[in-house]
Amino acid sequence: MSAQWDIAEPPSDAISALRFSSDSASRRFAVASWDKYVYIYEVSDDKQCLLLNKIEHRAPVLDVCFGKDNDEIYTACLDWDVRRIQISSNEQTVLSTHDAGVRNVVYSKEHGLVISAAWDSTVHVHPASPDAEWPTATINLPSKPFSLSLSSSKLVVAMANRALNIYELATLAKECKNSANALQNRLDIEPWQRRESSLKFMTRAVDCMPGDEGYATSSIEGRVAVEWFDPSNESQARKYAFKCHRQPVDDVDVVYPVNSIAFHPVHGTFATGGGDGVVAIWDAIAKRRIRIYPKLASSIAAMSFSADGRILATAISPGFEDGKEELAEGSIAIYIRELGENEVKKKAK
Amino acid sequence: MTKKKRGHPDVEEILSRPWCYYCERDFDDLKILINHQKAKHFKCDRCGRRLNTAGGLNVHMNQVHKENLNAIENALPNRAGLDVEIFGMEGIPEEIVQQHNQRVLTNFHQAEAERRAATGNLTPGAQGANGPKKPKFESPAELKKRLAEHKAAKLAAEQNGGGSSGSNTPTSAQVQSMPAQQPAQGSSTYPAYQQPYAPAPSSTTFAAPQTYNQPPAHGLPPPGYGAPPTGFAQNPPPQQPPYGQPTQSYQQPFAQPLQHPFQQPQFPMSTAFSPPPFPGQPPFPNQGYQSQVPQNGYSGQVGAPRAYNSASPASPFPHQQRTHSPAQNGLPPRTGSGSLPSAPGLPQRPVVNAPPVNAAQFQQMHQGQIPTQHNFTPPQLQQQTSVPKEEYNPAAPQIGMPHGLSNEAPGASSLDDLISSASKQADEQSARANTATPKPATPQTAPLATREEAVEEKSNKKDKDGKEKAAKPTRLVYSDNEISPEEKMASMPKYAFTPAQKTVQV
Repeated sequence: MSAQWDIAEPPSDAISALRFSSDSASRRFAVASWDKYVYIYEVSDDKQCLLLNKIEHRAPVLDVCFGKDNDEIYTACLDWDVRRIQISSNEQTVLSTHDAGVRNVVYSKEHGLVISAAWDSTVHVHPASPDAEWPTATINLPSKPFSLSLSSSKLVVAMANRALNIYELATLAKECKNSANALQNRLDIEPWQRRESSLKFMTRAVDCMPGDEGYATSSIEGRVAVEWFDPSNESQARKYAFKCHRQPVDDVDVVYPVNSIAFHPVHGTFATGGGDGVVAIWDAIAKRRIRIYPKLASSIAAMSFSADGRILATAISPGFEDGKEELAEGSIAIYIRELGENEVKKKAK
Repeated sequence: MTKKKRGHPDVEEILSRPWCYYCERDFDDLKILINHQKAKHFKCDRCGRRLNTAGGLNVHMNQVHKENLNAIENALPNRAGLDVEIFGMEGIPEEIVQQHNQRVLTNFHQAEAERRAATGNLTPGAQGANGPKKPKFESPAELKKRLAEHKAAKLAAEQNGGGSSGSNTPTSAQVQSMPAQQPAQGSSTYPAYQQPYAPAPSSTTFAAPQTYNQPPAHGLPPPGYGAPPTGFAQNPPPQQPPYGQPTQSYQQPFAQPLQHPFQQPQFPMSTAFSPPPFPGQPPFPNQGYQSQVPQNGYSGQVGAPRAYNSASPASPFPHQQRTHSPAQNGLPPRTGSGSLPSAPGLPQRPVVNAPPVNAAQFQQMHQGQIPTQHNFTPPQLQQQTSVPKEEYNPAAPQIGMPHGLSNEAPGASSLDDLISSASKQADEQSARANTATPKPATPQTAPLATREEAVEEKSNKKDKDGKEKAAKPTRLVYSDNEISPEEKMASMPKYAFTPAQKTVQV
């Protein structure tokens, strides 16, 4: 079908993150790349994708997210800094500096927080508004963080050694304000829940359900787990994991990492993108695969649904994830797929 | 219609199955095919509407969704085009139909071949087809021998116009244990038939049968023999001494009658037969049986018989066919006249025909078997055992006789060795002719094992397939469980960031 096309001006190097604006009226998305730029694109109605801006950093950018509006983004950069950037004015503000490369950054509209996680095993919690009365708070993590995800009320931090911490945003916000005078802004806060990943291998990505019920994690071993926040036994019994993004070659199953998980903001289904270049759409509740898209030229690096759920943007890049490390023609691309009304909807029972 | 009992359909059935142009799947019914196409290939992915044809879908996409249909969903790579208008089985280009049929046919034949190999069943036409070829595998000596035998059989048949048909049930016990009894039974065809078998089991019992053969060799008048069977049993003992001389003539008559009459008529008919002879000398009867009657052997009555067939798992059929066809060729004359009468006739044949056939040809023919002949000089026992064995070789050369003998024939080890060497020669010859033939060296038990192994392998394969689905070996594309890909990339020189300023700050 002609519903998918690739954008004209993709980044020149591997893509690390792709995020749509949370503004449902907008079809703007930001892309972070290893070529040290953050790209801002907008999908227009006539199947065009315009490059609105391109913001240079000192080092490769590992994550990007939109802030309170379409004009504000936060970036996590390998130069250890977390930045706030005004797209229109190109104005950059360093919110904080970690002691290692910053892997993720997320923004909570509900609680006005910008949360970043870095390989120094810390999470920085920043006030989203520049005129906040409290400084950045630092939370120590037991392990290196690999992925962050926010729901409306929770923060999920997926870390090395299969560790997973869940924080309540409300508590975080309150503690941060209270501990404004704490020593070196260290925040000793117990996570709301500490969990061990249901997956036996390194966690690759985590994303929360739009309804705040739970989250899905993926591992480098072609597996995805779906779990629920509710600590009750009934809810915990519902958690499950499944294999995906594998390819039988001869007698061996080649297992790709699942690099990206994105929940659909409307339907609650989710997409997984693997090192095999395949995007699959799943129904977390019915435990069904809804759809699988044709294999793309290289590993899926990142995916995002637009806020209105009408578009799925998929970024592909070669990398360690698919065993390819050389840049081939067409191996870096961003595909825009306009979703049909029922394309990623749960199937009626 | 009654339900088909066979699990596999005919070619026609397979060819007539409707199949989908787009994905080459085949269906039981045209309706199902059309439903499949509507659901898999002609469904609008925007609104889920199922159209009847690709063109219909195209129009729908254009009008309703303002989009163009570029390719059919879920189609094979080269079939996704919109240029062909497909509805069910209609509209498929002729060459594609032919390709499909070709593919189906090759698949069918392959499956059939596999099935045949697995079940050990002959193809319907196989026997006829292979029959003519069979003789090619035989050594000239064998051919000549058979010709002689055939002639002898004809003569014998003429002489013994009517023969009583013997019941299949062999009284092995009687034969084995009591030579004396044979006379009593002599009237029945048994003794003659059993002789080949029986000889192996109990040497003593053979004395009687041998006597038959011997007389002819010695020049005894055939008519006398043929008429009263009872007389034979008694006569033999006295006549034994002459053996040493006539050995050659001896064997010849024996060998011939044994091969042909025995193998086919009796064996196929009664599987029950095999057991009795076994106890005494399993190797022979078994071989004869199995090679001729594969199915019986398979039925599993006797472990040994299987072994033989199994010994040549690669091409169980060819062997069978070979043994069969010669037998059949030789048989018609005899069977026609009455295979059973041969019992009395057996001794006769040698007498009558032996002289004419005995010529230099015979000796040449038997040279391969010469060792056994030498053994004859010893008492009757050895002769008898040796004779059947020799005869065996031609009958079932493929089978590893030597081992069987050595294993199961007690007290005949030296003989067995000699025989085995002879039989090996025969085996090797046949082996050369038939590449598929198993190595004679394989002991009886081994072939059995191999066959079972083969079966097991098959089942194992299936099991494996099943298991592999459950626990397939996996290979992680990214196997570092400690360091994430991003960290690895970050450590690459081209992405390296040295935070000069930061270090100052920190």
